[in-house]
Amino acid sequence: MRERMEKALRKSNAEYTEIRIENVASSWANFRGEELDKIGSSRTLGGIVRALVKGGWGYATFNDLDAIEDRVKEACESARLVGKEQSKLAEVEPVVDEITATLEKDFRQVSLSEKKSVIEQYNKIILGYNDKIETSNVGYRDSFRKVWYWNSEGTFIKDERPDVGVVISATAREGDNVQQGFESHAGSSGFQIIEGLGKKAEAAAKRAVDLLSAPPVTGGEYTVIMNPKLAGVFAHEAFGHLSESDFVYENERMKELMVLGKCLGSNILNIIDDGTIPGLRGTHKYDDEGVKTRKNYLIKDGILAGRLHSRETAAKMGEQPTGNARAIGYQYQPIVRMTNTYIDKGDATFQDMIRDVGLGLYAIDMVGGQTSMEMFTFSAAYGYMVRDGKIAELVRDVVLTGNVFQILMNIDKMGDTVECPPAGGGCGKGGQSPLPVGFGGPHVRIQNVVVGGR
Amino acid sequence: MIVNRLIEKAMRKAQGAQASLEQSESTDVSFENDKLKSVKSSQSTRMGVKVILDGKIGLSHTTDSDDVDGVVARALEAAEFGSPAHFRFPGPQDGPDVKVFDDAVLSVTKEKMVRIGEEMIGLVKEYKSDILLSAGVDKSAGRSQFANSAGTEYTTEATAFGVWVNGQLIRGTDILWAGHGFGWKKREIDHVEIAENAIELFKMAENIAPIRSGIMPVIFAPQGVNVLLLALTLGFNGKNVFLGSSPIAGKLGEKIADERFSITDNPLLDYAIASGKYDGEGVPHCTTPLIEQGVAKNFLYDLDTAGRSGTKTTGNGVDCHPTTLVIKEGDTPYEEMVKNIREGLIVHDVLGLGQGNPISGEFSVNVLLGYKIENGEVVGRVKDVMLAGNTYEAIKNISAIGDKAEWAGGSLLTPPIGIAKLSVVTK
Ligand SMILES: [Zn+2]
Repeated sequence: MRERMEKALRKSNAEYTEIRIENVASSWANFRGEELDKIGSSRTLGGIVRALVKGGWGYATFNDLDAIEDRVKEACESARLVGKEQSKLAEVEPVVDEITATLEKDFRQVSLSEKKSVIEQYNKIILGYNDKIETSNVGYRDSFRKVWYWNSEGTFIKDERPDVGVVISATAREGDNVQQGFESHAGSSGFQIIEGLGKKAEAAAKRAVDLLSAPPVTGGEYTVIMNPKLAGVFAHEAFGHLSESDFVYENERMKELMVLGKCLGSNILNIIDDGTIPGLRGTHKYDDEGVKTRKNYLIKDGILAGRLHSRETAAKMGEQPTGNARAIGYQYQPIVRMTNTYIDKGDATFQDMIRDVGLGLYAIDMVGGQTSMEMFTFSAAYGYMVRDGKIAELVRDVVLTGNVFQILMNIDKMGDTVECPPAGGGCGKGGQSPLPVGFGGPHVRIQNVVVGGR
Repeated sequence: MIVNRLIEKAMRKAQGAQASLEQSESTDVSFENDKLKSVKSSQSTRMGVKVILDGKIGLSHTTDSDDVDGVVARALEAAEFGSPAHFRFPGPQDGPDVKVFDDAVLSVTKEKMVRIGEEMIGLVKEYKSDILLSAGVDKSAGRSQFANSAGTEYTTEATAFGVWVNGQLIRGTDILWAGHGFGWKKREIDHVEIAENAIELFKMAENIAPIRSGIMPVIFAPQGVNVLLLALTLGFNGKNVFLGSSPIAGKLGEKIADERFSITDNPLLDYAIASGKYDGEGVPHCTTPLIEQGVAKNFLYDLDTAGRSGTKTTGNGVDCHPTTLVIKEGDTPYEEMVKNIREGLIVHDVLGLGQGNPISGEFSVNVLLGYKIENGEVVGRVKDVMLAGNTYEAIKNISAIGDKAEWAGGSLLTPPIGIAKLSVVTK
């Protein structure tokens, strides 16, 4: 294949050309209620050509590898139709590298029946929890992605990207009141990470049942303490997306808003994106343009310190490439994405955070988040009211929302321990979803957060 | 045909089999930051196999056309541990007539697609030059083959065409987003009208109108109706009903909404994105009323879920998802709906839909694009506003339904809907 692709690449008459081929083997199993709902496996083989002419991009995606030379030609023609200015790509040293994934327990060697029996066990724990449990949804999935990457500057990378995870959800019901408890666990180090999660299944069931008798949180403005998992989503959603340079590089007003050195948050706030942390889901040695990943400070002591780049955005903004051009699969071109994003630790203990809170909210875990740059909204899985410095009753339907620029300034206490939970799910942008990302942080306290609710 | 080969291979071991082959070519022209950014062409092939072996189901699919043996072998392997089948593959049945192919899509050139995008951007820029625009024009044509071991066999050719434009206007740290788009299986889309719709949204948003927290009437514009629909989509899903997670399980025949509220699943509208003669299991499509004059009428089923529930499939395979949802028009002109409100909100677009516990009907969303009504007039857009409520309460509490339905995206046809009371929270 290598020879055929390199030959096709030489046929290109564009200024820059690359080919990425992927071969993905995946399998899945899913219980809903008593019965197995689905089980199966699939294979995906496909690729994308990307060509650059006078600043214009042409892409061609395909499943039929035999027609690769036609696809290269097609991408070049498209690029030529688009290009009207000067091409700019940040300089990167060409590399030739082969990466082999190391799996403690290789899920490709695990039979479908064993995969099924692991989640069957979690499913039984949920359904047997108590009679308020109405149903369950427990899913397993894995994928082993082999990626071959060539570009016209001489880079060749062969990478292996394993991902395995379970999603555990319990539904409890009392009349019309239906509540859910979620847990997820995912990572790249092998099948063993999703074994022995009986406690998580039980936690999901317990939460669903407990939430039946929890009142919805009363809408209003609160002092909010986020747990590490929620703080991680906050870092990702509320700020991370703003630091993606494709939103900035050709947008004069956004450039003013996001000028490096500007104070954007309280001085105890540090946000970092780091694609090199072993075991996290956003970790790769190279991004999908063959650029090495690295640790990037986005906010340092409250000051905007950096942003995430593709080779194009880096060149156009006169900054260094950061290794953040990622694609979810062969059908897509790489775009600027986060890897593992986290808030760095401060010095407050949990007691320090709640001690002086009269009425507040302790918001825990997350079930989703979305942002429009300026505005964000994300949903905690559940929460506890904080009353007179103490954790009080459980509440449900906790949705936090606000204006990013205001909220970052309102952070007034930072916990002393960072956790990066091995959660599943992923990030969506530009029609590319879900992209595996990592996130984390310490407990974070924020003043005056709008909490939705009735 | 490849599908017959797949069936033949599978039937050497299995007692029933279904196979599909989908092939398509598409072109996608994309504008970012006011200019043409890329042109993308995609060729795709996908084969899928479903088998029943000793009463159990196995699935597999592949995009590798050399993987014919592999895809069958994997489906058979999965079936060994598969879920029990509660259905048999259906024999040949005539499907209804519905148009899904338009020759005119095929002849649209990349250059023409570029011009459509440029014109839309030009129009919005003419209104206000500092709106930063992105836009897209896409087309595709595909062929799919389907067959099963009961003798059902058909080939469909379909096309698709879509156009959208989206703008961003930044003032200080205030970022306003608005846009419009539409896609279906037909070439005929008036891109000028789409640009004009987007301009109208920006015009109404020129002022920021302050709003207080409280309970107030809310009008969901067609684009905003999905806030209410998400829970219904999940609640009418036959699988959720069977599993008991739907709050309307067991409520067929009961009044669950205002009597002016009727909603139907309709896969037979010519050229709609989700339209077609058959569903994904070779079952002829049909229209299914979900709510008629406020009364819950039917849930949506696929073959297996219908078998488990002791009922018949509604042709919503696989997975009991709706196709195109159509909400019946009411009798109040939109202008009058606005005029009748002293203080309220119009919702076009929200952030955060589907987070939390959507099946319960609860929603709590950030209003991304919404307008304030004061004394019967739209006075500007709102900012930093959360809207919360419960779909099942809201549809009992309808104040008015507009007299004109519009497409909201490609799979919902709805009039604006007014809800008498919803909770609005702001700073
Ligand atoms: Zn994201």
